[in-house]
Amino acid sequence: MRTFEYLKPASVNKALALLDLYGDQAKLIAGGTDVMVQWKKRIISPQVLISLRNLAELSFIKFGGGLEIGAGTTHRALELSPEIREHFPVIHDAVSNLGSVQVRNSGTIGGNICNAAPSADTAPPLLVLDTNVRIASTKGERTVAIRDFFRGPSRTVLQTGELVTLFSIPAPLPRTGMAYSKHTRRKAMDLPIVGVAVLLSFEEDLKTCRKAAIALGVAAPTPMRAANAEAFLAGKPVDKTTLLEAGKIASEEASPRTTIRGSAWYRKEIIRVLVRRTGLICMERAKGAARS
Amino acid sequence: MSELFVGKSFPRADAEKVTGKAAYINDIKVPRMLYGKILYSTRPHARIKNIDTSAAEKLHGVRAVLTGRNTPNVRVGFLGDQEPLKKDKVRQFRDEVAAVAAIDEDIAEEATSLIKVEYEDLPPVFDPIEAMKDDAPLVHEFDARGKPRRNNILPLPWKLIAGDVNKGREQSAHIVKDTFRTTWVHQVCMGASGCIAQFDVNNNLVFTSVTNVPFGGKDRLDMFLRNIGLKSSTRILTPFVGGSFGSKLDTDIYEFIAVLLAWETKCPVKILFDRHEEFTASPPRQPAIATVEQGCDKDGHLTFRKVDMILDNGAYTSWGATTPSVMSIPVSTLYKVRNIHFEATCVYTNNIYAQAMRGYGNPQATYVVEQSMDQLAEAAGIDPLDFRLINANEPYTESPMRIKITTCPLKECLQEVKTRIDWENKHGKRDGRGVGVASFLHVGGGARVYLSDGQGIIMKVNDEGKLTIITGGTDQGQGSETIIRQMAAEASGLRYEDISIVLGDTEICPWDVGTHASRHLFMVGNAILMCAEKIRAKIRDLGARWMRSIIEADLNKKARRDPDFKAPQIDWSVLENPDNLDVCNGEIFVRDDPENPFLRMKIARVVRKAHLLGTGRGEMVTAEAFYDPPNEMIDREGKGNISCCYTFGTHGVEVEVDKETGQLRILNYVAAHDVGRAINPMLVKGQIYGAAIMGTGYGLTEEMLLNAGRVMNPNLLDYKLLTAKDKVPIDAVIVEPIEPSGPFGAKGIGEPACVPSAPAIANAVYDAIGVRIKELPITPERVLAALKQKEEEGV
Repeated sequence: MRTFEYLKPASVNKALALLDLYGDQAKLIAGGTDVMVQWKKRIISPQVLISLRNLAELSFIKFGGGLEIGAGTTHRALELSPEIREHFPVIHDAVSNLGSVQVRNSGTIGGNICNAAPSADTAPPLLVLDTNVRIASTKGERTVAIRDFFRGPSRTVLQTGELVTLFSIPAPLPRTGMAYSKHTRRKAMDLPIVGVAVLLSFEEDLKTCRKAAIALGVAAPTPMRAANAEAFLAGKPVDKTTLLEAGKIASEEASPRTTIRGSAWYRKEIIRVLVRRTGLICMERAKGAARS
Repeated sequence: MSELFVGKSFPRADAEKVTGKAAYINDIKVPRMLYGKILYSTRPHARIKNIDTSAAEKLHGVRAVLTGRNTPNVRVGFLGDQEPLKKDKVRQFRDEVAAVAAIDEDIAEEATSLIKVEYEDLPPVFDPIEAMKDDAPLVHEFDARGKPRRNNILPLPWKLIAGDVNKGREQSAHIVKDTFRTTWVHQVCMGASGCIAQFDVNNNLVFTSVTNVPFGGKDRLDMFLRNIGLKSSTRILTPFVGGSFGSKLDTDIYEFIAVLLAWETKCPVKILFDRHEEFTASPPRQPAIATVEQGCDKDGHLTFRKVDMILDNGAYTSWGATTPSVMSIPVSTLYKVRNIHFEATCVYTNNIYAQAMRGYGNPQATYVVEQSMDQLAEAAGIDPLDFRLINANEPYTESPMRIKITTCPLKECLQEVKTRIDWENKHGKRDGRGVGVASFLHVGGGARVYLSDGQGIIMKVNDEGKLTIITGGTDQGQGSETIIRQMAAEASGLRYEDISIVLGDTEICPWDVGTHASRHLFMVGNAILMCAEKIRAKIRDLGARWMRSIIEADLNKKARRDPDFKAPQIDWSVLENPDNLDVCNGEIFVRDDPENPFLRMKIARVVRKAHLLGTGRGEMVTAEAFYDPPNEMIDREGKGNISCCYTFGTHGVEVEVDKETGQLRILNYVAAHDVGRAINPMLVKGQIYGAAIMGTGYGLTEEMLLNAGRVMNPNLLDYKLLTAKDKVPIDAVIVEPIEPSGPFGAKGIGEPACVPSAPAIANAVYDAIGVRIKELPITPERVLAALKQKEEEGV
């Protein structure tokens, strides 16, 4: 019969020790919104589940210009954080439309990232924010830039014995606008057909692009940055025309697949449209931020 | 006298559902119960060479492992085209190949995974048009009688011909012809399928079932018992049921398997589906390919309508294959048209097979007819809503199918939609926003699909003056507990809160044909009226005999306690005739003197007096009635007045289409419905909201994606049922023409509101962007592809 042992360590260090002990036979579980689904579908059959649920040292939001988010922070906690809503709205956009309230109460940002689905809603926002991922093991800690974190669908740089503890986000430049758009078939309990995060930092004229970051979900085997589109925008005045062009470039950079959730051609169309639309939201938000 | 209970929005009486106290099939356990699991085919079409169950049998906790090779070969289903466990051949991915009973679910599941089946693949056929070709692989080599089959076409030649289509064509100034496709959608009941089968000491089967046709299910199971060599019969118990939407009309294969497992193990066996199984192994709504041609004269009057349907039957036959009997109603009778030609061909394929689903073929037929109506209106240069008003059915007319229309406020419904959706200002703009309209008719007074369309009811008035109603009907969430109380209180004169309902046991409850075809309120209401009349008469009769002695005893008692009390002068003769008495709200009183406190008492007092007479001649107040409506079975030509009234309605939808993404937003939705009379307006609106959302899902998001016979989205993530956040702003308009044959004037409303949604949305999309989507669902991807094609063609 398929069973597993459920262990609930009281600290990250104890979790790491258990990880060392059980190695590949163990699977970490936080909210369980992905792990249990995979277990039921027989995609995974670990002998041991090591729970990180309710570990206070993994669940926090620290704002001080930049942002530190504990990997065990639930989507709902992020959604309800006024600092995130005000200063990192791209994260708010993503977590407030993820699953349902019930799922958001359970699922964590660390789980969403470590599950490494191409459709992970929190991945594009963390990508445009140049997030650093802190990884712990009994041997110590290391930090990996999020753009180097994903290795393929459901694959990351994490080695046996390692777990993600923290996402560290540098303070954005002044006059920055950021937004995430999720294209879905319905308004709740849905994965993106395409997810697009855009971050635009402007020069003092609020027109010229100082820095552009564009990240795409469900556009490639992993969440990706659209480097060509970013390079195109950098230094240029941002308007409908340049954003339209950036959308086209991003769409060409993307290599989405045709699945039951959407055709490749359709995903490319949506990337083109959403880069422009999300860019326009960024402009509005940057102006709003500059005014306040 | 004005009505006290009918026409009022009583809140739902079945509060145990929201307090968590209701026991569904999931909650029910019986002593010694085993759990059954089914092993399904992994091939769409293959011969079974060998089944090795040895490892499964050895697993600790397993009590039985059954296959087609160690069980009786008994055919089941409407055409007898399958056996519960497949012996030689599998014809679809959901084919049941083996079944296990074990002491818990996990062991049962593990045991199924230990069964090794060796297959030899056969060429499959998935496209019904391919399957109709002469050289197509045969899904069934033999029919139920063992006669060789030459092709995949079912022996169900659905045909309805009336008037002369060729003559109609000649009289036409405008003709349109087009082909439309609909796909599989699932009923997605909140409560999944499940049953518990157990045999008592006399080998009678006690079957706890989620069926909404207990007596039909009993018939099928009794026949199954006979065929496996038992002389016993079945008692069906139904617990709370979490929705049916047609899915629980037929006895499903897992139910026969549970019986086999229970007989083999001599223990109760429960089979309960999970959501994955629900999607892969329970039959959904039938897909259709329909070619529709119709014409009108220069004034816009319809001249003829010709519809040819090809239905993908899947590998076996359930009620899905009989839905053309209902499709013929909208094809022949939605709007006035004299010349009709309708044919439907059901074709075996290696896909999953289909069952009934809310609307029973009507959603598919109305989808094609109502889009064609818009195309024809455009060809004739007439506003599509006006075009429908020109052709709208009239009250008290007969259609070419011999449908006898009684009350019919279709024009009123069209006008309601026209006004409320602001049609004049919104139609014809082509600016990304558009309005669309579609109407329907559906059976509203039962549907005679069996020799009886009847419902039995028993009433008894208890010692304390409370009324127990024992009914053969079932409740799968439609609110029958509430409306039964309302109608029974009105009709019997007892109090709403003093009425209790017993249902769900074929040993206790009187016979009923089944709670289907939007018939429950209509049938139970008429049965209540018949039965309650008898109850009232008995109570009045008892009143005439015993009220005087009760009152005299009261007065004497008062006089003893209070020496100053002066008894009133009473004319006792008025009490002697039961016709002078009336019963209302739990009391019996003199009709012409209702306020007289001395001549008025609780019903309980006369009933109790009759029970406790002390003379050896006591009586009780019970009555029974069987209501079988005056409707007809359709004849060999497909004609007949299948229902004794029909319900009409119109939906109008305003949409906004995002031309860059193909996404669609419903801005406004008006659903105008003829309900005869709303017994409970709140529940009527609930039916309209729920069904219109279901219809909207059919139109926009829901589809079972099949790839080479396999369901690719057997879960609620990828099967896009609309969520609470996707709610549509529905304006439900109740039109009440008061149907003479209906109880208190009511018609059925269970199914209709899911019928016209998809065509109304498709017509609105066309109005918004000039593109007609001829396939369901209308996905953003299909809309965008159609827009791009239109751009390329430079239309």
